[in-house]
Amino acid sequence: MSGTANREAVFPTRQSLGLMKAKLKGAETGHSLLKRKSEALTKRFREITRRIDEAKRKMGRVMQIAAFSLAEVTYATGGQIGYQVQESVRAARFRVRSRQENVSGVQLPAFESYITEENNDFGLTGLGRGGQQVQKCRDVYGKAVETLVELASLQTAFVILDEVIKIVNRRVNAIEHVIIPRTENTIKYINSELDELDREEFYRLKKVKNNKKKALDEAEAEMKARQALEGDKMMLSGKGGDEPSDLLAGEDEKDVIF
Amino acid sequence: MAAPASYKDRNFLAVIGDEDTVTGLLLAGIGHVTTGASATRNFFIVDPKTEIEKIEKSFDDLTTRKDIGILLINQHVAEKIRYKIDMYTAAFPAVLEIPSKDHPYDPEKDSVLKRVRKLFGE
Amino acid sequence: MEGLFFNVHSGYVEGIVRGYRNSLLTSSNYSNLTQCETLDDLKLQLTPSYGEQLANVASPFTTSTIASKATDKLVQDFRYLRAQATGALAKFMDFLTYSYMIDNVALLITGTLHERDTKDLLERCHPLGVFEGLPALCVASNIEELYSIVLVETPLAPFFKNNLRSADLDELNIEIVRNTLYKSYLEAFHDFCTTDPTLKGTPTAELMSEILGFEADRRAINITLNSFGTDLSKADRKRLYPEIGKLHPEGSLMLSRADDPEAVRLAVEIVGEYRSFFDQSGLGQGPGSALGGTQKSLEDIFYQKEMELAKDTFTHHFTFAVVYAWLKLQEQEIRNITWIAECIAQNQKDRIGNYISVF
Repeated sequence: MSGTANREAVFPTRQSLGLMKAKLKGAETGHSLLKRKSEALTKRFREITRRIDEAKRKMGRVMQIAAFSLAEVTYATGGQIGYQVQESVRAARFRVRSRQENVSGVQLPAFESYITEENNDFGLTGLGRGGQQVQKCRDVYGKAVETLVELASLQTAFVILDEVIKIVNRRVNAIEHVIIPRTENTIKYINSELDELDREEFYRLKKVKNNKKKALDEAEAEMKARQALEGDKMMLSGKGGDEPSDLLAGEDEKDVIF
Repeated sequence: MAAPASYKDRNFLAVIGDEDTVTGLLLAGIGHVTTGASATRNFFIVDPKTEIEKIEKSFDDLTTRKDIGILLINQHVAEKIRYKIDMYTAAFPAVLEIPSKDHPYDPEKDSVLKRVRKLFGE
Repeated sequence: MEGLFFNVHSGYVEGIVRGYRNSLLTSSNYSNLTQCETLDDLKLQLTPSYGEQLANVASPFTTSTIASKATDKLVQDFRYLRAQATGALAKFMDFLTYSYMIDNVALLITGTLHERDTKDLLERCHPLGVFEGLPALCVASNIEELYSIVLVETPLAPFFKNNLRSADLDELNIEIVRNTLYKSYLEAFHDFCTTDPTLKGTPTAELMSEILGFEADRRAINITLNSFGTDLSKADRKRLYPEIGKLHPEGSLMLSRADDPEAVRLAVEIVGEYRSFFDQSGLGQGPGSALGGTQKSLEDIFYQKEMELAKDTFTHHFTFAVVYAWLKLQEQEIRNITWIAECIAQNQKDRIGNYISVF
C-alpha cells in the first residue's frame, strides 16, 4: 500500500533506478550538511539566549541607575524638565547602524551605536541651574542606551536565528522523513518491478522453449512416423544410415534456439 | 529573513514609555523630529490617562517605519498591548522591553523571554 | 523705627509665616524619613505635616504624587498669605510669583510654537505662576501675536519689553529667553526691594539685597559653567548675567571671558565665600576632579548656602524677607522629600543622605 502511495511517479527502468540512487545519495549528503548547520546554529542560538537573559538582567540595573540620575536632575533643577526636553528635540544625536555577522551562512545583523557630534539639542537645558546634573544624566542615559542597543542586537539575532533554525530543522526533517524514505521506496519499487519483469521474461522464455519443444516433439514424431514409413520402405529396400542425420538435425535446432 | 537592504537605513531608535523614561532617553540623544507636512516624532509618551488605542496606533506607526532599527517600550506599557507584542515577530525593528522608574523589570512578562522559555520547554 | 508700624499691616502675615517655618521638617524628622522601607512608611511619617494632602491618595503611591501633593500644600499656604497681604507686602509677594510665571510663560511659548495641546500645557504649569491671562497665551497663532499677548496679558511685560524682540522668541533657544527674563526679573526685584519708598532702608532691603545678590551670582556661575561646550557665545552669555550681586561688575566681566572651570574659579576668587565653595566641590582644580564620587556638587553647595541664608533671615524681625525665606525653605523641603521618596522607591539607599536640612 504505502509502497505505491509514497513514491515518485517514474517508469521502472534501469535509467530511473540510476537517477534515484544518485538522488538518494544527494539527499543523504544534504541531510548531514543541514544537520550540522542546524547544530551550529542551535549552538549559537543557545549562546545568544543565554546572553539575552544576562543582558536583560543587566539592563534592569542600568536603567535603574539611569532613572536615578534623572531623579537627581529633578532634584537639582527643582522641577520637571521633561516637557522642555521633548520640545527641544531636533535631530537624533544617538543613532545606530547595522552591520552583519555570518553564522553558518546566516546573515545576522548587529546594531552598532554611534553619536553624531554636530548637534547638541540639550546643551542649554538647565542653564540657570541643574545643568551639570543634566549633562551627567545625559551621559548615564547614553551608556544605558548603549546597553539597550547591545541587547537589541542580541534580540534581533535571536528572532532571525529562531526563524532560520526553524526553516533548517524543517528541511532536515523533510529530508529525513519524507525525501529519503520516498526515494528509498521508489528504488525498492523500481527494483521489484525490474525483478518482476525478469521473472516474466524468464517465464516467457520458458513458454517459448516449451512451445519449441512441443514443435520439435511433433516434428520428431512426424519424423519418426515418416522414418517408420521410410523404414518400412527401407525394410523393403534395405536399411540406410539415416540415424546420424537425424541426430545432427536435432542438435542443429537446439543450437538455433539457445 | 529580512532582505539585507531593509536594515541598512534603519538609523534611529524609537521609544514608547512614561515621561521620565522618554525624557531620559531623549537626553541621551535618541530623539528625532522631522518638520514639515509629514512631521513625525520617534517617541510617544504614555501617562495613566493615555488610551490603549493611541498606544496601539503609535506602536503600529513606529513598527512600520522604515528608518527605525530599535523600538524601546516600557514594560508596563507593553503589558497594556501585550497581545500585539506577542504577535509581533518581525526582526526589524527590534522591539525591546525596558523597565521604568516605577516598574522594575520583570523577566517573566517579556515576550521574547517567554519565547526563549517556550523553546527550551520550561 | 520701622518696627513701629510694621505690625499694623504685615504683623499677621509675619506671624503666620513664622508658624509655617516651625512646622518645617527638622533633621530628626528627616532621619526618620530616611529609615522608611517603603513609600507607605514614608507617607505615615509625613502625616503630621502633610496629612491633609496625603490622606486621600490612593495606592499605588508614587514619588510624583508625593511631590505634587507637597506642592499643593505649599501653594495653599502661599495663597492664604497672599490673600492676607496688603500694600508693599502684596507687591513683594507678587514678585515672588513672577519667577514661576517666567517658567510657565517659557513653557507656553515652547508649547505654542510647536502647536501642542493647550490643556495639557496648562496642567504642567506651576500653580504659583498661574495668572489670569495665562491661558490667553495659548490662542496665539504666530510669534508676532504671541509677543503682543505676552506684553498685554502678563505681568512679565516689563521684563520682556526691554530685553526681547518678537523675533527672539522664535530664533533664540527658549533657555536663553528664560534666563534673559530671569535676569531682568532679579534686577527688577532687587530694584523694588531697595528703592521702593516703603522698603528703602528697612531690614527687608538689606536682607533681600543679600539674598537676591547671591541668587544672581549663583545663576551667573551656573550659566557660565553650563555653557561650556555649547554654542552660546561669550557676548550672549554676558547678557544673561544679572547686574547685581557680589560678582558684579568685575567678577561678571571675568566670568564672561572664562573658557573653562579654572577661569571661573579665578573669576569668583574675589569673593572669599565662593572660593571656598569651589574648593569644597573640587571644581576647576584639574580634569576628572569635578563631580566625582560622594563629593558634594557645586549646585548642592549653593543650595545649602541658600538655605542657610533663608534660615538666618528668620533671626530678623519686621521684614518681608521671611516670606521669601519660608518659600525657599518649603521648596527645598519638597525637593528633599521627593529625593528621599525617590531613593526609597528605587532602592538607592546609599545616596539618601543627600538632602539639605538646616534645622
